[in-house]
Amino acid sequence: MKNTTRNYTAVLVLVLFLVSCKDITELNKNTNGVEPQTVNPDLILPTVLTETGKTFLNLGFGDASGIVQHTQGDAFNAGRDYYDWGQSNSWISPSSSSGDFYGIQRNNKLLYDRSVTLGYKFHQAISLIVKSMNFGLVADLWGDAPYSMANQGETGTPETISPAYDSQESIYAGIMADLETANTLLATNPASLETVSSGIDVIYDGDPTKWRKLANTLLLRYYMRLSNKKPDVAKAGIEKIVNNPTQYPIILETADDATMNYPGVTGGVDDWPGNTYFDASGQGYRRLKPCQTLVSALQKLNDPRLAVWAKKVETPLAIDPSLPDTTDKISNGVRYFGVKAPALLQTQKIAPVNTDPNYVGLPPGIQSPSTYNANPVVGQASYNPHVSYLNEIYTQPSTTKSPLLKARLASAAEVQFILAEAALKGMAVGDAQMYYNAGVRASLTTWGVGSQYATYIANPGVAFVGTVKQVITQKWIASWTAATEAWFDWRRTGYPEMKAGPYAKRPELPVRFYYSIDEQRYNTANTTAAMGNLAQTQYSQADGANSAWSKPWLLQGSGSPSNFPY
Amino acid sequence: MIIGLIGVCLSGALADGPRRGIDHIKVVAVPEDGSVLEIIDRLTKLSGYAFLYEDNLKDELHKRIRIENGKSLQEVLNSISQQTSLEFRVVNKNIIVRKKAGLSGESAESRQIKKVSGKVTSKLDGSAMPGVNVVLKGSQTGASTDVSGRYTIEVTGSNPVLVFSYIGFSTEEVAVGTRSTIDLAMTESAETLQEAVVTALGIKREERSLGYSVGTVAGKDITHVVQENVLSSLAGKVSGVQISQTGGAGSSVSMVIRGAKSLSTDNQPLFVIDGVPINNSLSNVGQVAGNGNTVDYGNAISDINPEDVESISVLKGPSAAALYGTRAGNGVVLITTKSGAKNKRMTVTVTSNTVFDNPYKFLPMETKYAVGNLPYQPNAQGVIVDQSGNPYTIDESQSQWAGPELDKGYKAIQWNSPTDENGNRIPTPLVSHPNNVKNFVRTGITSTNGVSIANGTEKMDYRLSYSNMNNHGIIPNSDLFKNSLALNSSVKASNKLRISTSIDLSQQRSDNRPASGNGTNPLEAAYNVGPNNDIRDLRNYWVPGQEGLQQLSVAQGSYNNPWFMAYEVNNSFVRNRVFGNLKADWQITPEFSLSGTYALDTYNEKRETKITNSYTKETHGGAYGLMNIDQYERNVSFLATYRKELNDFNLTFSVGGNDRYTTSSNNNSSSKSGSGLVIPNLFTVANIAPANLNYSSYFGQRGIRSLYGLANIGYKDKIYLDLTARNDWSSTLPKGANSYFYPSASLSMLLNELIPMTNRISLLKLRAGVAQVGNDAAPYSLYNTLGNAGVWGGTIIRLTKSGSILLPTLKPELSTSYEGGVDLNVLHNRLRFAGTYYVQENRNQILPSTIDGASGFSTKNINAGLLVSRGIELSLGGTPIDKNGWRWDLNFNFTRNRTIIKELAPGIDKYTFWTAGKGGAWTYVGETVGDMYDAQLVTVTDKTSPYYGYPILSSDGQWNSLSATSARNKIGNYNPNFLLGAQTNISYKGFTLNMNFDWRAGGSFLSQTYRYYESDFHSKRYLESIVSPNGLTGDALAAYLKANADKYIIPHGNFFPQVGGQTAATGGFSWAGDNGTSNGNFIPGVTAQYDDKGNITGYTENLGGPGTVYFGYNDGYAWAFNKAALFDASFVKLREISLSHDLPRAWIRGLGIQNASLGVYSRNIILWTAAKIAIDPEQAFQPTTSPTGSTGSFMQGVERYNVTPWVIPVGFKLNVTF
Repeated sequence: MKNTTRNYTAVLVLVLFLVSCKDITELNKNTNGVEPQTVNPDLILPTVLTETGKTFLNLGFGDASGIVQHTQGDAFNAGRDYYDWGQSNSWISPSSSSGDFYGIQRNNKLLYDRSVTLGYKFHQAISLIVKSMNFGLVADLWGDAPYSMANQGETGTPETISPAYDSQESIYAGIMADLETANTLLATNPASLETVSSGIDVIYDGDPTKWRKLANTLLLRYYMRLSNKKPDVAKAGIEKIVNNPTQYPIILETADDATMNYPGVTGGVDDWPGNTYFDASGQGYRRLKPCQTLVSALQKLNDPRLAVWAKKVETPLAIDPSLPDTTDKISNGVRYFGVKAPALLQTQKIAPVNTDPNYVGLPPGIQSPSTYNANPVVGQASYNPHVSYLNEIYTQPSTTKSPLLKARLASAAEVQFILAEAALKGMAVGDAQMYYNAGVRASLTTWGVGSQYATYIANPGVAFVGTVKQVITQKWIASWTAATEAWFDWRRTGYPEMKAGPYAKRPELPVRFYYSIDEQRYNTANTTAAMGNLAQTQYSQADGANSAWSKPWLLQGSGSPSNFPY
Repeated sequence: MIIGLIGVCLSGALADGPRRGIDHIKVVAVPEDGSVLEIIDRLTKLSGYAFLYEDNLKDELHKRIRIENGKSLQEVLNSISQQTSLEFRVVNKNIIVRKKAGLSGESAESRQIKKVSGKVTSKLDGSAMPGVNVVLKGSQTGASTDVSGRYTIEVTGSNPVLVFSYIGFSTEEVAVGTRSTIDLAMTESAETLQEAVVTALGIKREERSLGYSVGTVAGKDITHVVQENVLSSLAGKVSGVQISQTGGAGSSVSMVIRGAKSLSTDNQPLFVIDGVPINNSLSNVGQVAGNGNTVDYGNAISDINPEDVESISVLKGPSAAALYGTRAGNGVVLITTKSGAKNKRMTVTVTSNTVFDNPYKFLPMETKYAVGNLPYQPNAQGVIVDQSGNPYTIDESQSQWAGPELDKGYKAIQWNSPTDENGNRIPTPLVSHPNNVKNFVRTGITSTNGVSIANGTEKMDYRLSYSNMNNHGIIPNSDLFKNSLALNSSVKASNKLRISTSIDLSQQRSDNRPASGNGTNPLEAAYNVGPNNDIRDLRNYWVPGQEGLQQLSVAQGSYNNPWFMAYEVNNSFVRNRVFGNLKADWQITPEFSLSGTYALDTYNEKRETKITNSYTKETHGGAYGLMNIDQYERNVSFLATYRKELNDFNLTFSVGGNDRYTTSSNNNSSSKSGSGLVIPNLFTVANIAPANLNYSSYFGQRGIRSLYGLANIGYKDKIYLDLTARNDWSSTLPKGANSYFYPSASLSMLLNELIPMTNRISLLKLRAGVAQVGNDAAPYSLYNTLGNAGVWGGTIIRLTKSGSILLPTLKPELSTSYEGGVDLNVLHNRLRFAGTYYVQENRNQILPSTIDGASGFSTKNINAGLLVSRGIELSLGGTPIDKNGWRWDLNFNFTRNRTIIKELAPGIDKYTFWTAGKGGAWTYVGETVGDMYDAQLVTVTDKTSPYYGYPILSSDGQWNSLSATSARNKIGNYNPNFLLGAQTNISYKGFTLNMNFDWRAGGSFLSQTYRYYESDFHSKRYLESIVSPNGLTGDALAAYLKANADKYIIPHGNFFPQVGGQTAATGGFSWAGDNGTSNGNFIPGVTAQYDDKGNITGYTENLGGPGTVYFGYNDGYAWAFNKAALFDASFVKLREISLSHDLPRAWIRGLGIQNASLGVYSRNIILWTAAKIAIDPEQAFQPTTSPTGSTGSFMQGVERYNVTPWVIPVGFKLNVTF
């Protein structure tokens, strides 16, 4: 019995040992990362800026450039050429082609909250400007979208997990209010603002005056966006900005352009998309070709920018009636056809051959574009000696190797063209021609051909004729690699006049992105409700309401685009 | 004539039988008044001695007697002997009960004395059996075998019969006849084998006393056929268990018990080896370095040497496993390793296995057309020419195989065409090469050799084993090596204290594990070699003169050389592991015992990846990476047990505690994807430029302290009640709220003993249990920290907030299970049935649920909800034949499980497992786990329309789809309807034929391999599926199609009709882009007209008449629909087949060999699949890697390039015991 007692005691001691140790939950302190509560905002700021820059470029050089017929693809081209996105253009997925807007905003919200806590006005202003840029794009691309309830998932309520959509109208209003706030925050004497660490601000390297100009430039952009739907609001807003440059400084010089460089050090992180350094197959580069719509527009204007963006065609085609009918031969670097060359006739079924000796673009939305212009090496590898490739600079991974490779978020050219359009629409902002000329000059400067301004501006078709069509056409050219603006301009003005290609999903250009499959999957009720706010058109067809051809609020009853005014 | 065996030892420290003489055993707590039978029954339990008697003693045994507690067992037996006509004799572990001498009634005249001798061995392994009782039937004469299994006995009588008995073995009677030598191989008794079951905490219990279902597999049943991973041996053998190999040999093996209960984890059970919880998970997929280099390193449970396994108990539900706490929710697999206790002399066993894996079945790829997009036309000389009439160059960088026709005598310029004297390339014949993949793979060889030494004495026993496995995989340059050294030993330090230990040291390593998925996967590269190429031309895989720098490829930069992938992408690893325990058992008093255990499992795994320059995604000097993984788990536990018999009640109470501590760390240095090395092919971390160096480290730790108690109450050995309770304190839950408690109860009733029944029923047992298991969270699940979003430009730090929402107020998960069942054995246990029905409810699961990204986050941890699993497990076993040396055993296991999500968190209506294409696998609240959804085809829904059901096409002639969510278009479920395993064992005179079949019925899987290969026109199936216009055109064609609309217009199953052909001869149409080759096809359906509001106003046929939209035949794949690549997952496999033969003793005796057997076997032969696409549906797992590349897991029900060729293995096995 004595033994037993001793053993019970031993058990008891063991139990006490177990329960009296130090608090076991102390093991759960995560030492692997930085606490959000204490993070220096300068460690978040670059994430927000670079991801925003990449998103704008990816769209402006990607699907949007296909829509506005700057480029076309000849393989894996259904999205770019035919608008066949299959509801995969998601605003929430880091892997989607359209962007991870709400992911950017998650970090941006942390940046904002930390800046407010620390009293950092400059950081706050940047955060608001970036937020406005991103939500501006969301509202423009999709229409209604989660905004006021967005990015609050951490509260955990059902209303924040599956946030309700705000109307496109109220998103614009929110953006504009934020931009006004940013402008005010930055109106403080710059010396009194906190600094942004060197190199961290990949857009303006910590210059608050430039950020202020960007804020007001964006304000100007959105006022113009509203000009059809709410002409009075647009007019008042634009005049307010232009006529008070002290309170509303804007980007008027290319030196103030909001751009981001690509360091090109790590594939998939900071390199130019489609470069051939990290994509050794070169297919990403080759599959993207200039679109004939842009090529002929530039050729018509004898535009020096064409040579900057596109390569001359390797082997031009020529039809020589003096040769025997069925001739098909290459001589002196030119492929000659007789008039009845069978291959020629075959190819003509898709599109007439293009015998331009210098630049040949891909026509928009043709079936099997890889076969275009009698290509002897048809296929997804996208070799085609009879169509122009993009210029060699687009094979490089970085701005260091090719200084023109930049994400372009807002520019002096855009501002000048907005003001020219405003003047032509009767707003009291000044002389349309002056703005137009300045816009053209700014764009030529941007693309390294500023020295040819004097010649170019005198060219027929370039010389100012005082039409919105001309202004927007130049703006469309100037928006190369930033094509989202050109798409929204087309949507508003119908310029330049473009039709979808013959094999596109619908005969007209789309006016928005589909609400994505993911959004429908995870936020079913609210997405369904938002679809109800879209106006179906005759081109919505089998898509139903959630179609790229259904009109969001901004376009409803605005008479634009003119092709399907309903 | 039957010798009854009363009672076997019960549990705990007494489990292995008596270790003290009967004069040292003190009789306590035995009823002092009762029948002889009742009293010796008690004495059995007290002492561990089994009483053996003949049934003609029944009258004597029912006689009431009196005994006295406090005396020695010897004294008590003497006392019984005085009160009856019985006498007792101790033979080893048995006490033989017989009539006193002189009372047998046998006449002295019939006594002719003769000596019989012989040797007794175990049929199981041929080892000698010491201590077997040999009794002359009907007499007091007895003997027992010596250490070498030999005996000598004097027999008398006219027709003497010897009775051989040994605990755990079937008692056998042998008529002596005129023989003087009788050798016997004894068979283990199924009945007794079933009775001793290892349960939670290693406690051995009689199976009949358990109120829950436990699956048991004996060690011998997993070594008939050797598998690299011990888990593979369990497939089909235990009801309720699904075993799936996720890829080729050496890949992870998934074991899921009673279906998936957790939505977010891999659902793997806890493995406990000799009391040591072993780390095992399916998250063994990693990418150390290189772009698209996903490797499955195999799960760590494969470190176990199957030859060391004595038995495996599968504790299926929480009722059985509740005492293991937290990790027991998915069940527990208890593995007991062999000890030396049974070997009364030093026994050396040598085993040797070699198996050859012969690949024989490959994906059926088309071999009619060369690589390319357009066929073009041959000129008069048979040379394929382009539009200019110049010889056509096969562009190997194309992904499609829709180029010129092969085997028609045509020629074209190919990648390896020679050049003539003018430097022009000479067209070469276009010939098909149907055996490319066959010519790439090789015969795999796996050899496993092992040796063990075992011995046991009164004072100590030991078993030491060594095993070595070498595998050369069917993919060139892939291998796997295993070495393990295990020691199992116990020492009796005193009469009351026993100290035991088991230690397992193992190393598993490989020079190269081939990558899976898409990227560096050599099989993918091999399957991508076009049918016009002979893969053997790529065997010397360097471009001459550029060895080490540039691989030889049919299309440099676009496609990889499969041999280059096999030999120059090297994913090596080495895992060194130690697990083991040190245990002390202290029998303080006969009632009270205490044990303490220290258990450790730790391993280090070093993974290294070297990719030589010129892999298409690593062209800047190659890639290099080094990863170090350390896992450590330590458990310290104690268990105090008190046993008491009170009248008809048999009581055991235990309390115990456990302190668990685990750490996990991971360090990784590698070149960033595609960034390369400074000096090509110099594989050091220093050779990675700083801006290109990816580096990370992680450390995690977790602790759980637990206290638990259990009570077993038995009533008259007829009703048993088990109660358990446990409380855990976890480090991973919020401070102050980290304690949780959970109980269990189970009941077993032996109806055949409670109610009088025909003696044909050997066992009728009803059982029921209810149990709870609590579960904590993974470490660091309360708050997020900021992660690295990738350094910008090599200098700018970019931190990012995690996209997952964690919950600082986590509650523990709670799983409640209910199970009931019946066991029925009839005809002297020759027919055995067991059935179980269970319901398991998992509440408050902690799982990351995908949410709307507009919330700012992509996942949110749910800590609510209710998952309900229901299932049926049936097993039926029988011995249809057991006579004349023939024995045939049959066993069937049936399993069906369904898991339903009853509730999730507010605002979340579905749980998403994965997405692919436009669909994926997700489950709505109220529906079944495993459901798969897909985009819905837009068709004419107006039933009055003549086109009802026809697809509505876009203006480009393609299908339209509605999103899978808005249409809620369910296309299948990846879980099988049921599993049926069947084992059969036929033995005759030393020959044994053993087979194990596994049938999985129902379920679907998505083959991304087929989806990609069909869209690229590699698949023969797709080529053959194109609807031929039958020579018709225009209205006649439209009429023909409409007449067969269900077949040719309306998509059904995975068939989406496309009309036309590849060439004019096969039905192709002329179209705009055909380059004169008539390869146009169309999708049959209608286009619709719409008004301004988008309403349909009419239809236009697209059926071959005017206005039909044509496109190249290779553009018509239904890419937007996963359903086009969805297949039935049903299959039947012959998991194991083995024929073994015990060599006749006469042959081997001279060599000093006790026993030798030879066997030939095969395994995992696919007998039938419903899909008939040469993909193993069992391998419908797609590995994923997390963004950090450190860990990854599997998506179930979908595969991509998980296309190991099917093999027919041929194996040989030799077993020798000295």
